[in-house]
Amino acid sequence: MSFGEEGQERLKRAHIFIAGAGGIGSPVSLYLAVAGVGTITIVDMDVVDQTNLNRQILHFDRDIGRKKTASAEEKLQEINPDITVNAFDVRIDETNAADMVGGADGIVDAMDNYPTRYLLNDIAISKEIPFFHGGIRGFYGQATTIIPGTTPCLKCIFPKAPPDEVFPVVGVTPGLIGMVQATEVLKYLLGIGDLLTGRLFIWDGLHAQADEIRVERNQGCEACGGIITPERKGK
Amino acid sequence: MTVKIRFFARFRELLGTDIVTDVVVGMRFTSLITTIAKKNPEGYAAIFDEKGAFREFVILMKNGKRIEIADAAKIPVEDGDEIAVFPPVAGG
Repeated sequence: MSFGEEGQERLKRAHIFIAGAGGIGSPVSLYLAVAGVGTITIVDMDVVDQTNLNRQILHFDRDIGRKKTASAEEKLQEINPDITVNAFDVRIDETNAADMVGGADGIVDAMDNYPTRYLLNDIAISKEIPFFHGGIRGFYGQATTIIPGTTPCLKCIFPKAPPDEVFPVVGVTPGLIGMVQATEVLKYLLGIGDLLTGRLFIWDGLHAQADEIRVERNQGCEACGGIITPERKGK
Repeated sequence: MTVKIRFFARFRELLGTDIVTDVVVGMRFTSLITTIAKKNPEGYAAIFDEKGAFREFVILMKNGKRIEIADAAKIPVEDGDEIAVFPPVAGG
């Protein structure tokens, strides 16, 4: 055990909410399951399609036509029977998001659209839990860790959603970005290392280049602008 | 004076990146990006709308600090600036 017994116990007591069982949600959930994160809640409303299989490694050829949540629950329980898996087959919206997240210790962004990301960003802010953002397009990916009240939130960094488009996807990119997010989750739960906070990690797989861009809070942010940073709270 | 422009994601596919260019003193942010982007009509259209304004989702950074789109036409570029232009990527 690389984190010692105490670290492993911490992971066992933890609950992580993963929004999406697709390209990013697949590797994130598998690795958090085998790391021993005690409770994983995973949400998706889709059915497994053959075109998903080049990247959504939770789902197999035999799962085509099944609900992604059924497939995800089965695989995660098989790979680690000692954890609890909650799988919700719904579209995440304003009416259900806060309840589903419940008392989770953090939210992993494995979504494919900005409106739902903004909603999850709001939930993370209201519950004061971290939001582990990731996004991909083709060979490009980005990730950052959001700690409400301390770091910029998703709306500080990306105030406006890009237009909807059908983007090309190759499975290795969500694999890589998902691993950045899963690493962040483990570090956060274990209280070790330096989190990817205040920095946007940008990966260009075509040129094998990793960059990071410093990002700052927008004091006028409509999502988190009114939140006082913890350091200032008592003053 | 010279500046470096770094495009990311789709902008990079269309326009390349790490473009080092000479600029005249006083050149504004928007003019510089417009000039570079016009080298590829598709790249220009990805970043600017029909009226020549930055599309609202475009993120602009100057030496790691955010520049608001609304201010980009007023802010001059300075010698040695590293300028980043990128879209949020949405897939997951």
